[in-house]
Amino acid sequence: MVSAIERKLLRWLRVPPEPAPPDGSAGSVLVFRAGRNYWRWRVLAWALAQAGVLVVVLLPLIVLAKKRWALPDSVASFWLAIEAILLVVYLVALFLSYHAQRLDYELRWYVVTDRSLRVRTGIWSVVETTMTFANIQDLRISAGPLQGALGLADLEVSSAGGASDKQPGSSRGHVARFSGVDNATAIRDLIVERLQKYRDAGLGDRDEPEATANQSAQELLDEARALRAVVEARYPKTSL
Amino acid sequence: MPAIPSAVASITRPGEQLFTYYLLRALSTTFAFPVTMAVLYFRYHTMRYEFSEQGIRMSWGILFRNEVVLNYGRIQDIHLRSNAIERWLGLARIEIQTASGSSDSEMTLEGIPDVDAMRDFLYSQMRGAAGAGAKSGSDLASILQEVASQMRAIRMTMEQGNPRG
Repeated sequence: MVSAIERKLLRWLRVPPEPAPPDGSAGSVLVFRAGRNYWRWRVLAWALAQAGVLVVVLLPLIVLAKKRWALPDSVASFWLAIEAILLVVYLVALFLSYHAQRLDYELRWYVVTDRSLRVRTGIWSVVETTMTFANIQDLRISAGPLQGALGLADLEVSSAGGASDKQPGSSRGHVARFSGVDNATAIRDLIVERLQKYRDAGLGDRDEPEATANQSAQELLDEARALRAVVEARYPKTSL
Repeated sequence: MPAIPSAVASITRPGEQLFTYYLLRALSTTFAFPVTMAVLYFRYHTMRYEFSEQGIRMSWGILFRNEVVLNYGRIQDIHLRSNAIERWLGLARIEIQTASGSSDSEMTLEGIPDVDAMRDFLYSQMRGAAGAGAKSGSDLASILQEVASQMRAIRMTMEQGNPRG
Protein backbone atom coordinates (compact mmCIF):
# COMPACT_ATOMS: atom_id res chain seq x y z
CA MET A 1 0.00 0.00 0.00
CA VAL A 2 2.81 2.41 0.92
CA SER A 3 5.38 3.13 -1.78
CA ALA A 4 9.13 3.55 -1.26
CA ILE A 5 9.01 7.34 -1.29
CA GLU A 6 6.18 7.30 1.23
CA ARG A 7 8.15 4.98 3.50
CA LYS A 8 11.03 7.43 3.33
CA LEU A 9 8.70 10.30 4.14
CA LEU A 10 7.32 8.38 7.11
CA ARG A 11 10.78 7.69 8.46
CA TRP A 12 11.88 11.26 7.94
CA LEU A 13 8.79 12.62 9.70
CA ARG A 14 9.23 10.06 12.49
CA VAL A 15 5.60 9.05 12.30
CA PRO A 16 4.86 6.47 15.01
CA PRO A 17 3.44 3.08 13.91
CA GLU A 18 -0.15 2.00 14.28
CA PRO A 19 -1.50 3.02 17.71
CA ALA A 20 -1.94 0.42 20.44
CA PRO A 21 -5.61 0.00 21.37
CA PRO A 22 -6.60 1.32 24.81
CA ASP A 23 -7.23 -1.27 27.52
CA GLY A 24 -10.54 -3.03 27.11
CA SER A 25 -12.00 -6.49 27.35
CA ALA A 26 -10.23 -9.03 25.19
CA GLY A 27 -11.81 -9.45 21.78
CA SER A 28 -13.76 -6.21 21.98
CA VAL A 29 -11.27 -4.16 19.95
CA LEU A 30 -12.52 -2.99 16.55
CA VAL A 31 -10.39 -0.86 14.25
CA PHE A 32 -12.21 1.22 11.64
CA ARG A 33 -10.55 2.93 8.70
CA ALA A 34 -11.57 5.71 6.35
CA GLY A 35 -13.66 4.48 3.41
CA ARG A 36 -12.22 3.87 -0.08
CA ASN A 37 -14.17 6.82 -1.44
CA TYR A 38 -12.60 9.10 1.16
CA TRP A 39 -9.39 8.85 -0.88
CA ARG A 40 -11.24 9.95 -4.05
CA TRP A 41 -12.78 12.81 -2.11
CA ARG A 42 -9.37 13.87 -0.81
CA VAL A 43 -7.80 13.71 -4.29
CA LEU A 44 -10.61 15.82 -5.71
CA ALA A 45 -10.16 18.50 -3.03
CA TRP A 46 -6.38 18.35 -3.46
CA ALA A 47 -6.60 18.64 -7.29
CA LEU A 48 -8.90 21.68 -7.08
CA ALA A 49 -6.55 23.41 -4.64
CA GLN A 50 -3.50 22.63 -6.78
CA ALA A 51 -5.25 23.90 -9.93
CA GLY A 52 -5.94 27.17 -8.11
CA VAL A 53 -2.28 27.49 -7.16
CA LEU A 54 -1.21 26.73 -10.74
CA VAL A 55 -3.33 29.60 -12.05
CA VAL A 56 -1.64 31.98 -9.60
CA VAL A 57 1.81 30.67 -10.60
CA LEU A 58 1.14 31.03 -14.33
CA LEU A 59 -0.57 34.42 -14.18
CA PRO A 60 2.66 36.47 -14.45
CA LEU A 61 3.66 34.38 -17.48
CA ILE A 62 0.45 35.29 -19.30
CA VAL A 63 0.92 38.95 -18.44
CA LEU A 64 4.51 38.71 -19.68
CA ALA A 65 3.48 37.15 -22.98
CA LYS A 66 1.04 39.96 -23.64
CA LYS A 67 3.38 42.82 -22.67
CA ARG A 68 6.54 41.42 -24.16
CA TRP A 69 6.82 44.25 -26.75
CA ALA A 70 6.83 46.86 -23.96
CA LEU A 71 9.64 45.36 -21.85
CA PRO A 72 13.40 45.38 -22.39
CA ASP A 73 14.86 41.91 -23.07
CA SER A 74 16.80 41.77 -19.79
CA VAL A 75 13.68 42.34 -17.66
CA ALA A 76 11.72 39.79 -19.68
CA SER A 77 14.37 37.08 -19.25
CA PHE A 78 14.60 37.85 -15.52
CA TRP A 79 10.86 37.29 -15.28
CA LEU A 80 11.15 34.07 -17.21
CA ALA A 81 13.87 32.79 -14.86
CA ILE A 82 11.70 33.55 -11.82
CA GLU A 83 8.80 31.78 -13.47
CA ALA A 84 10.95 28.74 -14.16
CA ILE A 85 12.02 28.53 -10.51
CA LEU A 86 8.42 28.94 -9.35
CA LEU A 87 7.29 26.15 -11.67
CA VAL A 88 9.98 23.77 -10.40
CA VAL A 89 9.03 24.53 -6.79
CA TYR A 90 5.39 24.03 -7.72
CA LEU A 91 6.06 20.65 -9.31
CA VAL A 92 8.09 19.43 -6.32
CA ALA A 93 5.35 20.59 -3.96
CA LEU A 94 2.76 18.90 -6.18
CA PHE A 95 4.65 15.62 -5.97
CA LEU A 96 5.19 15.82 -2.20
CA SER A 97 1.68 16.98 -1.34
CA TYR A 98 0.18 14.14 -3.39
CA HIS A 99 2.09 11.62 -1.30
CA ALA A 100 1.24 13.52 1.88
CA GLN A 101 -2.45 13.24 0.95
CA ARG A 102 -1.99 9.56 0.28
CA LEU A 103 -0.30 9.02 3.66
CA ASP A 104 -2.86 11.12 5.50
CA TYR A 105 -5.53 8.82 4.06
CA GLU A 106 -3.61 5.64 4.88
CA LEU A 107 -2.59 6.66 8.40
CA ARG A 108 -5.99 7.00 10.06
CA TRP A 109 -7.12 4.67 12.78
CA TYR A 110 -10.43 4.76 14.58
CA VAL A 111 -10.19 2.22 17.40
CA VAL A 112 -13.21 1.21 19.50
CA THR A 113 -13.06 -1.12 22.53
CA ASP A 114 -15.90 -2.02 24.88
CA ARG A 115 -15.13 0.89 27.18
CA SER A 116 -13.21 3.51 25.23
CA LEU A 117 -12.19 4.79 21.83
CA ARG A 118 -8.97 6.08 20.33
CA VAL A 119 -8.54 8.13 17.14
CA ARG A 120 -5.13 8.63 15.50
CA THR A 121 -4.66 10.99 12.54
CA GLY A 122 -2.02 13.15 10.89
CA ILE A 123 1.49 12.83 9.49
CA TRP A 124 3.21 16.15 10.16
CA SER A 125 1.21 16.93 13.26
CA VAL A 126 0.19 13.60 14.75
CA VAL A 127 -2.83 13.69 17.05
CA GLU A 128 -4.10 10.80 19.11
CA THR A 129 -7.34 11.19 21.08
CA THR A 130 -8.44 8.81 23.82
CA MET A 131 -11.88 8.96 25.40
CA THR A 132 -13.76 6.58 27.72
CA PHE A 133 -17.41 5.83 27.01
CA ALA A 134 -18.22 6.86 30.58
CA ASN A 135 -17.45 10.45 29.52
CA ILE A 136 -19.24 10.58 26.17
CA GLN A 137 -22.04 13.11 25.91
CA ASP A 138 -23.29 12.94 22.33
CA LEU A 139 -22.67 11.56 18.87
CA ARG A 140 -23.11 13.46 15.64
CA ILE A 141 -23.05 12.29 12.03
CA SER A 142 -22.62 14.86 9.30
CA ALA A 143 -22.08 14.63 5.55
CA GLY A 144 -22.08 17.22 2.78
CA PRO A 145 -23.81 16.58 -0.57
CA LEU A 146 -20.61 15.40 -2.25
CA GLN A 147 -19.69 13.19 0.71
CA GLY A 148 -23.24 11.83 0.71
CA ALA A 149 -22.98 10.94 -2.99
CA LEU A 150 -19.72 9.09 -2.25
CA GLY A 151 -21.34 7.24 0.66
CA LEU A 152 -19.13 8.95 3.23
CA ALA A 153 -19.88 10.67 6.53
CA ASP A 154 -18.04 12.12 9.51
CA LEU A 155 -18.87 10.78 12.95
CA GLU A 156 -18.13 13.11 15.85
CA VAL A 157 -18.04 11.82 19.40
CA SER A 158 -18.13 14.57 22.03
CA SER A 159 -17.36 14.58 25.72
CA ALA A 160 -18.44 17.30 28.14
CA GLY A 161 -16.97 20.78 27.87
CA GLY A 162 -17.07 23.72 25.52
CA ALA A 163 -15.81 23.31 21.99
CA SER A 164 -15.73 26.82 20.60
CA ASP A 165 -14.44 26.15 17.12
CA LYS A 166 -16.80 24.18 14.95
CA GLN A 167 -14.70 24.27 11.80
CA PRO A 168 -14.48 20.92 10.05
CA GLY A 169 -11.21 19.06 10.26
CA SER A 170 -10.32 20.60 13.59
CA SER A 171 -9.67 18.01 16.23
CA ARG A 172 -9.34 20.55 19.03
CA GLY A 173 -11.44 20.31 22.11
CA HIS A 174 -13.61 17.55 23.39
CA VAL A 175 -14.30 15.81 20.11
CA ALA A 176 -13.07 12.59 18.54
CA ARG A 177 -13.70 12.66 14.78
CA PHE A 178 -14.14 9.57 12.65
CA SER A 179 -13.55 11.37 9.33
CA GLY A 180 -14.68 9.90 6.02
CA VAL A 181 -16.03 6.56 7.20
CA ASP A 182 -18.44 4.67 4.95
CA ASN A 183 -20.24 2.93 7.84
CA ALA A 184 -20.92 5.88 10.16
CA THR A 185 -24.36 4.67 11.26
CA ALA A 186 -23.03 1.18 12.07
CA ILE A 187 -20.23 2.66 14.20
CA ARG A 188 -22.74 4.99 15.83
CA ASP A 189 -25.02 2.05 16.68
CA LEU A 190 -22.08 0.10 18.09
CA ILE A 191 -21.04 2.99 20.35
CA VAL A 192 -24.63 3.65 21.45
CA GLU A 193 -25.00 -0.03 22.32
CA ARG A 194 -21.80 0.03 24.36
CA LEU A 195 -22.92 3.26 26.03
CA GLN A 196 -26.01 1.51 27.47
CA LYS A 197 -23.88 0.30 30.37
CA TYR A 198 -23.32 3.85 31.59
CA ARG A 199 -26.29 5.52 33.20
CA ASP A 200 -24.57 8.49 34.82
CA ALA A 201 -24.09 11.93 33.32
CA GLY A 202 -20.44 11.43 32.51
CA LEU A 203 -19.40 14.22 34.87
CA GLY A 204 -17.85 12.36 37.77
CA ASP A 205 -21.14 11.96 39.64
CA ARG A 206 -21.41 9.11 42.10
CA ASP A 207 -25.15 9.37 42.83
CA GLU A 208 -26.40 6.42 40.83
CA PRO A 209 -24.25 3.68 42.45
CA GLU A 210 -25.19 4.89 45.97
CA ALA A 211 -28.87 4.75 45.05
CA THR A 212 -28.53 1.11 44.00
CA ALA A 213 -26.70 0.38 47.28
CA ASN A 214 -29.68 1.86 49.16
CA GLN A 215 -32.08 -0.24 47.11
CA SER A 216 -30.06 -3.33 47.91
CA ALA A 217 -30.05 -2.47 51.61
CA GLN A 218 -33.85 -2.05 51.49
CA GLU A 219 -34.17 -5.43 49.78
CA LEU A 220 -31.96 -6.95 52.47
CA LEU A 221 -34.16 -5.47 55.23
CA ASP A 222 -37.32 -6.84 53.58
CA GLU A 223 -35.71 -10.25 53.34
CA ALA A 224 -34.65 -10.15 57.00
CA ARG A 225 -38.26 -9.32 58.05
CA ALA A 226 -39.66 -12.15 55.93
CA LEU A 227 -37.09 -14.56 57.38
CA ARG A 228 -37.98 -13.51 60.93
CA ALA A 229 -41.68 -14.06 60.17
CA VAL A 230 -40.96 -17.59 58.95
CA VAL A 231 -38.77 -18.35 61.95
CA GLU A 232 -41.38 -17.02 64.37
CA ALA A 233 -44.15 -19.05 62.69
CA ARG A 234 -42.09 -22.23 62.90
CA TYR A 235 -40.92 -21.81 66.48
CA PRO A 236 -43.91 -20.36 68.39
CA LYS A 237 -42.92 -18.47 71.56
CA THR A 238 -45.22 -20.72 73.68
CA SER A 239 -43.00 -23.76 73.01
CA LEU A 240 -40.04 -22.14 74.78
CA MET B 1 -6.97 4.85 46.28
CA PRO B 2 -4.44 2.68 44.46
CA ALA B 3 -0.80 3.71 44.66
CA ILE B 4 0.54 5.23 41.47
CA PRO B 5 3.53 3.70 39.66
CA SER B 6 6.85 5.01 40.95
CA ALA B 7 7.91 5.85 37.37
CA VAL B 8 5.05 8.35 37.28
CA ALA B 9 5.39 9.60 40.84
CA SER B 10 9.08 10.38 40.28
CA ILE B 11 8.40 12.85 37.47
CA THR B 12 8.80 16.38 38.78
CA ARG B 13 10.57 18.18 35.93
CA PRO B 14 10.30 18.13 32.13
CA GLY B 15 13.10 16.40 30.21
CA GLU B 16 16.07 18.28 28.77
CA GLN B 17 14.87 17.78 25.19
CA LEU B 18 12.08 20.22 25.95
CA PHE B 19 14.65 23.00 26.34
CA THR B 20 16.11 22.16 22.93
CA TYR B 21 12.63 22.35 21.47
CA TYR B 22 11.97 25.69 23.17
CA LEU B 23 15.26 26.99 21.74
CA LEU B 24 14.19 25.98 18.23
CA ARG B 25 10.78 27.50 18.79
CA ALA B 26 12.34 30.77 19.90
CA LEU B 27 14.70 30.75 16.91
CA SER B 28 11.74 30.36 14.56
CA THR B 29 10.40 33.73 15.74
CA THR B 30 13.60 35.42 14.32
CA PHE B 31 13.43 39.07 15.41
CA ALA B 32 11.35 38.34 18.48
CA PHE B 33 13.94 35.78 19.60
CA PRO B 34 15.14 37.60 22.77
CA VAL B 35 11.59 38.01 24.05
CA THR B 36 10.30 34.50 23.25
CA MET B 37 13.54 32.92 24.47
CA ALA B 38 13.27 34.71 27.80
CA VAL B 39 9.66 33.61 28.24
CA LEU B 40 10.40 29.99 27.27
CA TYR B 41 13.61 29.92 29.33
CA PHE B 42 11.75 30.77 32.50
CA ARG B 43 8.84 28.53 31.53
CA TYR B 44 11.19 25.58 31.20
CA HIS B 45 13.17 26.27 34.36
CA THR B 46 10.14 26.84 36.57
CA MET B 47 8.00 23.99 35.25
CA ARG B 48 7.15 21.52 38.01
CA TYR B 49 5.00 18.41 38.05
CA GLU B 50 3.53 16.57 40.98
CA PHE B 51 1.67 13.32 40.41
CA SER B 52 -0.24 12.33 43.54
CA GLU B 53 -2.76 9.59 44.15
CA GLN B 54 -5.67 11.92 43.50
CA GLY B 55 -4.44 14.03 40.63
CA ILE B 56 -1.83 16.18 38.95
CA ARG B 57 -0.40 19.52 39.98
CA MET B 58 1.53 21.51 37.40
CA SER B 59 3.08 24.92 37.90
CA TRP B 60 5.24 27.28 35.89
CA GLY B 61 6.19 30.95 35.60
CA ILE B 62 8.19 33.35 37.72
CA LEU B 63 6.65 36.80 37.22
CA PHE B 64 3.32 35.48 36.01
CA ARG B 65 2.82 32.33 38.01
CA ASN B 66 0.49 29.58 36.94
CA GLU B 67 -0.62 26.54 38.80
CA VAL B 68 -3.12 23.95 37.62
CA VAL B 69 -4.49 21.13 39.74
CA LEU B 70 -6.82 18.50 38.39
CA ASN B 71 -8.22 15.18 39.54
CA TYR B 72 -7.73 12.02 37.51
CA GLY B 73 -11.42 11.24 37.88
CA ARG B 74 -12.39 14.48 36.13
CA ILE B 75 -10.38 13.84 32.98
CA GLN B 76 -12.70 13.84 29.98
CA ASP B 77 -10.31 13.06 27.16
CA ILE B 78 -6.60 12.82 26.47
CA HIS B 79 -4.97 14.14 23.32
CA LEU B 80 -1.46 13.16 22.36
CA ARG B 81 -0.10 15.77 19.97
CA SER B 82 3.29 16.10 18.31
CA ASN B 83 4.82 17.70 15.22
CA ALA B 84 7.73 16.22 13.31
CA ILE B 85 10.33 18.38 15.11
CA GLU B 86 9.06 17.26 18.49
CA ARG B 87 9.17 13.64 17.37
CA TRP B 88 12.76 14.08 16.20
CA LEU B 89 13.55 15.17 19.75
CA GLY B 90 11.48 12.34 21.23
CA LEU B 91 8.84 14.69 22.60
CA ALA B 92 5.05 14.91 22.53
CA ARG B 93 2.46 17.00 24.31
CA ILE B 94 -0.23 15.33 26.39
CA GLU B 95 -3.28 17.57 26.44
CA ILE B 96 -5.69 16.78 29.22
CA GLN B 97 -9.29 17.96 28.93
CA THR B 98 -11.77 18.31 31.76
CA ALA B 99 -15.42 19.31 31.44
CA SER B 100 -14.84 23.03 32.01
CA GLY B 101 -15.98 25.35 29.28
CA SER B 102 -13.03 25.74 27.01
CA SER B 103 -12.01 23.93 23.87
CA ASP B 104 -8.34 24.36 24.71
CA SER B 105 -6.84 21.78 26.98
CA GLU B 106 -6.94 22.48 30.71
CA MET B 107 -3.47 21.06 31.23
CA THR B 108 -0.72 20.34 28.72
CA LEU B 109 2.04 18.06 29.93
CA GLU B 110 5.28 18.82 28.09
CA GLY B 111 8.62 17.07 28.17
CA ILE B 112 7.36 13.85 29.74
CA PRO B 113 10.04 11.16 29.16
CA ASP B 114 7.83 8.18 28.23
CA VAL B 115 4.74 9.69 26.66
CA ASP B 116 2.99 6.42 25.82
CA ALA B 117 3.39 5.07 29.34
CA MET B 118 2.07 8.33 30.80
CA ARG B 119 -0.90 8.25 28.42
CA ASP B 120 -1.66 4.67 29.47
CA PHE B 121 -1.39 5.62 33.14
CA LEU B 122 -3.76 8.58 32.75
CA TYR B 123 -6.16 6.40 30.78
CA SER B 124 -6.15 3.80 33.55
CA GLN B 125 -7.12 6.53 36.03
CA MET B 126 -10.02 7.86 33.93
CA ARG B 127 -13.62 7.12 34.77
CA GLY B 128 -14.89 4.08 32.94
CA ALA B 129 -11.43 2.82 31.99
CA ALA B 130 -11.82 -0.23 34.22
CA GLY B 131 -15.26 -1.04 32.81
CA ALA B 132 -18.81 -0.19 33.82
CA GLY B 133 -18.86 -2.62 36.74
CA ALA B 134 -16.11 -0.90 38.66
CA LYS B 135 -18.04 2.17 39.77
CA SER B 136 -17.60 3.03 43.42
CA GLY B 137 -20.56 2.00 45.54
CA SER B 138 -21.61 -0.84 43.27
CA ASP B 139 -19.36 -3.16 45.32
CA LEU B 140 -21.50 -2.45 48.39
CA ALA B 141 -24.67 -2.99 46.37
CA SER B 142 -23.52 -6.36 45.07
CA ILE B 143 -22.49 -7.49 48.58
CA LEU B 144 -25.87 -6.48 49.99
CA GLN B 145 -27.62 -8.31 47.19
CA GLU B 146 -25.55 -11.41 47.88
CA VAL B 147 -26.50 -11.28 51.58
CA ALA B 148 -30.18 -10.88 50.62
CA SER B 149 -30.08 -13.89 48.35
CA GLN B 150 -28.39 -15.98 51.06
CA MET B 151 -31.15 -15.05 53.53
CA ARG B 152 -33.77 -15.79 50.91
CA ALA B 153 -32.31 -19.28 50.51
CA ILE B 154 -32.44 -19.83 54.31
CA ARG B 155 -36.07 -18.70 54.45
CA MET B 156 -37.08 -20.95 51.55
CA THR B 157 -35.36 -23.94 53.16
CA MET B 158 -37.18 -23.29 56.43
CA GLU B 159 -40.53 -22.82 54.69
CA GLN B 160 -40.24 -26.12 52.88
CA GLY B 161 -38.66 -28.71 55.12
CA ASN B 162 -38.88 -29.82 58.76
CA PRO B 163 -35.94 -29.24 61.04
CA ARG B 164 -33.80 -32.38 61.29
CA GLY B 165 -33.85 -34.45 64.40
